[in-house]
Amino acid sequence: MSAAHRKLRWACLALLVAFHGARAEVIYETTSAYHRIVVTDYQGMRTLFFDDAMESRMSLQDPLKGHFEYTEFFHLPWLWNERITNVLMVGLGGASVPRAFQRFHPQVTFEAVELDAKVVRVARDYFFLRESPTLKVTVADGRQHLRRSRQKFDLIVMDAYTANRYGSYLPYSLVTREFFALAFDRLSENGVLAYNVISPVRPRRKQDIVAAIHQTLNVVFPQVYQFHAATSQNVVLLATRSARAQTAETLQQKADDLVQRRVITVPGFKGHLRALRPTPGYASDQSLILSDDYAPLNGLLNAD
Amino acid sequence: MRNLTAMALVFLGGFALMILEIVGARYLGKDFGGAFYVWTSQIGVILIALALGYFVGGHLADRFRRAGFLAVLLVPAGLFVGLIPNCTGFLLEAIVMRHPADQPIPLLWQKLDPALGSALLFLLPCFALATLSPYMIRLLTPSVSAVGRTSGLVYAASTAGSIAGVFVSGYVLIDAMSLTQIFRATGALTAALGAGSVLMDRLPAEPAAAQES
Repeated sequence: MSAAHRKLRWACLALLVAFHGARAEVIYETTSAYHRIVVTDYQGMRTLFFDDAMESRMSLQDPLKGHFEYTEFFHLPWLWNERITNVLMVGLGGASVPRAFQRFHPQVTFEAVELDAKVVRVARDYFFLRESPTLKVTVADGRQHLRRSRQKFDLIVMDAYTANRYGSYLPYSLVTREFFALAFDRLSENGVLAYNVISPVRPRRKQDIVAAIHQTLNVVFPQVYQFHAATSQNVVLLATRSARAQTAETLQQKADDLVQRRVITVPGFKGHLRALRPTPGYASDQSLILSDDYAPLNGLLNAD
Repeated sequence: MRNLTAMALVFLGGFALMILEIVGARYLGKDFGGAFYVWTSQIGVILIALALGYFVGGHLADRFRRAGFLAVLLVPAGLFVGLIPNCTGFLLEAIVMRHPADQPIPLLWQKLDPALGSALLFLLPCFALATLSPYMIRLLTPSVSAVGRTSGLVYAASTAGSIAGVFVSGYVLIDAMSLTQIFRATGALTAALGAGSVLMDRLPAEPAAAQES
């Protein structure tokens, strides 16, 4: 390394400390085969970063608080099936979802599949992930795991999305028609697939990733609903095996009913219905069905 | 003309090889997922194919001193590549599904399964493509005094083709074409290289080369 290069590095480091390090304390840092993983503490909030992008957040005082808004949308499938007992999640992150499910749905057996063994370790050590007979964590590829599983799930949660300063990244094998057909097959009769994706920052283009995933889900699932987070660009798509189309009104009634009967005790549950967007009618020039054979995700996720 | 044809064949051979490496890794992803081991396996297997192809290609070149012999390797290889999307699904399925369901795959097989899949699909065609370089060095070298220049030129042309193959497939092809179309086109190109090598035998040797030898 040249002297100038070294100097530049120190200057960058000093800037980082001045603007970031002075406030947030890095409590753990490691590099895995997939990400540079950093855990910071700042003002009572613990944050997980993958490649400098925020991946998960948790309040140190109350680990059931501080998480991202979109993770609460993963309780919404109860509107379609109030007897959810078997849940599979692909992508563990900072374990916000399993933590909440253990607390608010103790009857649920939860299985999380995470590709990166170091992410699992970080979730255990820093994000209060406690494995138990009702919370199992497996290190594996999500699609391969689902393919080899003979179980039926009432809910499959997909949160395998990551981002860095160059853009967003979704593994292509988890957004194709063939994968959704596999998920459909592994869901129980009233099962729901919940899919987190980030909508593009830039103004609406002809084709975007949300539209493509929505339409591809719709090839396999009879109904697909979009929930847009207010505090971030996250969109959670809910694809149901149930063919009956639900409206905002019927869902609101169901939500009132679930909360009143205390089937659902998650705070703010009913409010999440405000995130429901009318199902867009995609024009034919916007249609793009993603398949194992053709899934131009790079163009969809990162092009202007 | 003969030299130029040889360079074109070597360049396109390198091009096809790297398309198979990059697009092949994508193709393996639907069965072996996003694991780091997929890329590791793909790169390792292609390098094995290169080493074997160089070794065997050099021996063949000394024995059969006609470029046309390469057609025997390249035409079947092209056919095989063109049929990858249709005929190899069951092989990859068998690799994944041979493990008992609902149990984790042992770490050793998590690592080796993608390499096994990659070898079944890409070892043979990439081996065939790799024989081009040593073969052409042998055919284009009029005398030992020119072997440095010739081999350097062939290495450079082949590597330039590989560089083009990497960027074109990663930056353009994956977003513009389906995997099936890419495999078909690469298969056709590989078979065409076989035809090109037959053609090369009909071209007269370069005058300068003829004098030297």
